[in-house]
Order: sequence, then C-alpha cells, then structure tokens
Amino acid sequence: MAIKTILIVEDDRFIGEMYVRSLQRAGYEVDWMIDGNDGLIAARNKPYDLLLLDVMLPERRGTEILEALRGKEDLIPNTKVIVLTNFEQDDESRQAMEAHADAYLIKAEITPRKLLSVIERLTA
Amino acid sequence: MAVGVNGKKTRKMNQPPVPKLVKDFWPRFSAHTANLSLLLAVGSLAPAALTLYVTGLFARQLELALILLFVQFATVYLMLFFLATVTTRPTKHLLSALTFATGEKDGSTPPNPNETRFKRTGLGAAIEAIYATLSKEGREQNTDTLATATSQVEKALEATQCGFVTYDAQRSMTYANPATPVSETTDGTKVLDLLFQPEDALEQWWDECAANAVRAEKTWTRVPDKLPGEEGRRLFDVIASYNKGLADELILTLVDRTEDYAIGEEELDFIAFAAHELRGPITVIRGYLDVLQDELQDELDTDHKELFHRLVVSANRLSTYINNILNTSKYDRHHLNVQLKETTVRSVYSSVADDMELRARAQRRLLSVSIPDTLPTIAADNGSLSEVFSNLVDNAIKYSNEGGTINVSAVSKGDTVEVAITDHGIGMPSNVVSNLFQKFYRSHRSRETVAGTGIGLYISKAIVESHGGTIAVASEDGRGSTFTVILPTYDSVAEKLKAGNNESKELLGDGKSWIRNHNMYRG
Repeated sequence: MAIKTILIVEDDRFIGEMYVRSLQRAGYEVDWMIDGNDGLIAARNKPYDLLLLDVMLPERRGTEILEALRGKEDLIPNTKVIVLTNFEQDDESRQAMEAHADAYLIKAEITPRKLLSVIERLTA
Repeated sequence: MAVGVNGKKTRKMNQPPVPKLVKDFWPRFSAHTANLSLLLAVGSLAPAALTLYVTGLFARQLELALILLFVQFATVYLMLFFLATVTTRPTKHLLSALTFATGEKDGSTPPNPNETRFKRTGLGAAIEAIYATLSKEGREQNTDTLATATSQVEKALEATQCGFVTYDAQRSMTYANPATPVSETTDGTKVLDLLFQPEDALEQWWDECAANAVRAEKTWTRVPDKLPGEEGRRLFDVIASYNKGLADELILTLVDRTEDYAIGEEELDFIAFAAHELRGPITVIRGYLDVLQDELQDELDTDHKELFHRLVVSANRLSTYINNILNTSKYDRHHLNVQLKETTVRSVYSSVADDMELRARAQRRLLSVSIPDTLPTIAADNGSLSEVFSNLVDNAIKYSNEGGTINVSAVSKGDTVEVAITDHGIGMPSNVVSNLFQKFYRSHRSRETVAGTGIGLYISKAIVESHGGTIAVASEDGRGSTFTVILPTYDSVAEKLKAGNNESKELLGDGKSWIRNHNMYRG
C-alpha cells in the first residue's frame, strides 16, 4: 500500500516544519497538528496513510493518542504509525509503543532524509 | 617441714574454712596431717613415760629420763611427718593438676606429666588423665561459648545493612544475610542479584582465582542491583575474599553505597542532561541542512555545494561527539542500556553510510565499503552500534592522509561477524595501541596534531562489549591501522539467552521484539 497522505503531530515548530517541508517536497500530502487533542481528532476524522507521532505533546501525550486509536480496537487499520521521541523511553513504555506502532525513532538519530527512507521501507 | 610449720601456724591462728575451691583443699589437708602427726607424737610419749616410771628411772635420774622422752617425741614426730609428706605428695600433685585443669589460678606451676619423677612412679599417667578429661569438658564448654558467639554473629548479620554472602567450592550459595539482594530461580537455586559489568564479572574473577590463586581479594565499586530506571535501585561496593580449600571458598561483603554515590550521580546526571539539551538544537540544525540541501539543489553552484557539505559534515560530527559524551556519562553510571534486536551489519551501517561517505569525500578520502548481504544476522542496538561505526570511520579519516583509502569490510567467522575498518594512514607504535581504549587517552602525537576528546574509542569499546562483542586493533607505525569489531551472531546470542535466562524465550520469539532485561550484556 503506497503512502500518500501523512498526519504529523508535533508541537516543536522547528521540527514540525522541517518534516512538513521535506515530506511535501518528496510528494506527500501533509497535515500538521501541534497539540495532542487536535492530533487525535484529525486522526479519527480522516484516514491517513501514515501517522507521524511525537511522544511529548501538550494536552494529550503521543502514547495516549495511540492508546485511544489502537488500544481497544484498531480505529486506524489502514494507517502506518511512526513514533518520534526525544528521549529513549524506558523498556516498558517503549514496548507498549512498539506494540501499536510500525517504527519507533529517536529524533536525534533521524534526519528528514532518513525519515524518508524509513517511510519508503514501510511501504515496501 | 615447711608444711608442718605452716600447718601449726594455721591451726594456731584459725581453722581454715571448708574449701569450696580445689586449690583451698590442700592447705587444709596438709595442716590436718601435720596436726595429726603432732598428736600421735605426743600420744607416743605416754607408753614411754610409763616405762620410765616402772623402771624407776624418773626417780633416780630425772634429767636422763626427760632427755629420753624428748628424743622419743622428736623421733616419732619426725618419722610421722616424713611418712605423711611422702604419702600425701601424690595427692598434692594431683590436686595441683586439678587446680590447673579447672582453671583456678593459684600462682604455682602445674605438674608436668612428662617429668621423669612422674613417669617413674606412674603418677604421670594420672595427671595426664586429669588434663585429658578436664580439657575435653573444657572443649564442650567451649562449644557452648561458640554457639553463643555464633548466634550473636547471626543476629548481627540479620541486623546489618551490609550484605554478607558465602559460597562453597561448588559455587552454590551457602549463606546470605537479609541485606543481600538475592533471588531464587525456578529450580530453587539462590542467585545473587547484582549486575556486574560483563567484562569484569565475579564469575570471571573466580575462574581466575580457581586457576591461579590460593588467597585473593578484590573490590568492585558501584555495582547496581537493578537495571537503570528501575525503582529502588541500589549501588554496592562488593568485596570478595577467595580462600582455596575452605568450606566457604568465597565470601562476599556488600556495602550499600547508594547515598554516597548519589552525589557523583548528580554530576554525571548534569553531563547527561547537558548533552541531552545539546541534542535538541543539533537535531534541528542537521534537519534543516537536509531540507535546505534538497531545496537548494538546483540553485547552488559546485563551490557552494562544497561549503554546504562542510556544514553537514561538521554538524554530523558534532552530533557524534555529543552522543559520545551522553553515552559515556550513561555508561559510567551503568545506565547505558542497549536494545538488542535482530538486524544485519549492513543495515546498521546503512544508517550512517551517507554521512560517512560525505565525511570522507569532504576531507578527500576514499571510502570503500564492502559488506555482503549474505552475512548472518546479529543482535544489535542500531543507534549505538552505528555510533561505533561512525567513531571508527571518523578516526580513520582523522589519522590518515588526504587521498588515502579507508576500507570498511565485514566477514562471517564461526559464531561471529567481524567488521574491519582499515586505514592506510599514520598508524601507531605499540605503546599507544595498548592504551588506546582508555578514557580520555590521547597519544602524544595526536594531542599535537589531531583534535579529539579521547572518549570515542572508550565508548565504542563499551558499546561493543554491551553487545557481547569485542573490539581489537592492529597497527603499524607509519602504515595504518585496522580496527576490528567482532560481534556474536544473533543465533549464538539467542542460544546463550535461552540457556541462561528463562524469561528471554518470548523476547526472542520474533524479529520484531527485542531482548529485554538480558543479564548477559549490559552497560
């Protein structure tokens, strides 16, 4: 399944715009939300192909959004999820995240170009 | 004679009390004997006086009669006294032996059963018997004292905050006090719950001791009982005493130093925190350089592109150094926690391949990478291991000459995959090689000519060892160096984990899950 539409939930404007610009340039349709509530609403309302989710977010943390979307039943079965974080989470929360996500990336280890190659690999 | 005189004196002064101690009996007995001798001597005068009276000697020659009577008295008394002394002497010795054996001190030297006079008379055997019998009882008494002491020590061990563990030569735990972190495996074996560094583990030291030492002692510092991040984590100093041949071959004393180390931890925390803060902006810088490079691709001329590459290379380098600092501070606190997943060397290297290529090109080195995709998989933490590769390639660039070639290659060897990074640069003399992996080590030459912090190789070694691997270097002065990272294959790691750790099976079930809380490798 090819990825075309992407939702980014990221509160850091520098980081958010960085991803938006590089993804748009690569030909994706990108929406960007900066807080957890808006992110969850957007993800529920539109079937995106990919959700790019920050962990530390205002209003609602990335982990909560993921739990709401995939905890009981999978509300976004056709959406791939990439979790982005600043901190290396402890094992447990990392495992919980991984259970619902397709990739788990540490921001400092990833550049926009690397993110593009991860996305390409997800569709392959 | 002295005894008699003493006896008389004693009698005159007062009757000694009934003895309660062994040593008090002899003076009383000897006084009694002397008195009896005197009484008998006096008594013997009566028949003599009667004889003198009947023969009429008293009437004719009174002086002679009195002299005769005195001689009679003196003779009888002396004879009796001599007899008493001789016959009671063994009693005296036996009492003296008894006095000594019961521990009553009377200041005299106890009889020695081996003396010739005792051997000759046979009294030696009796004295020996007294000593033997009483010292046996003494032993029993000692056992009682020992039991009291043992229970006191046990109480102390129960109460102390220090851990105390003993092991027998078969390496099973024979005792552990309540302060020791101990857990039980499913088959009931008690295991010490301490996380030693994999390259400096207790078992290893014990092996060495068993092979080479009779007595040995070693101290480990900052040994944690739990993984970083887990609640109630304590830090111990562990002192081990090894004594070959003793019932308790190994004795461990654990001193809880959590509070003391907390201060040092704060400093290291600060370094980690600072490094973490630096990662934020550098991530943004690298990200926007990426974005700009793409967006300006068609507008920049070759010259500007080259400048751009330098920006990217420097930003990436800065990022590597910040990660080195962060990882070192984590490693020094035993917080470096690698997440091992099944992957390939090729895939790990690919995450830094572009960066390495750019770094080499910007500094006019030729990078030749040959990593076959047919190699066995490894158990690796992609982020950490890729940092090892960038450190090693970065070093190869630093310590080689412009236009030089750097080779990155990987081969499969037995249960391992070996990754070699070779440069044809300045190389190192052997005295440098042996210090290379020490923290902050910079050779004299590199201090003068090449920038660096001296933690790149230190942390690389730590990361590789956290993967259960080893790092080696071969170098020739003036001709270049080869750094080899030897990593166990995923299969061999999985096998080890299955054999040694009952909870790891599920974690190895599929390639997606990682090896969690594994006891074998950790930083």
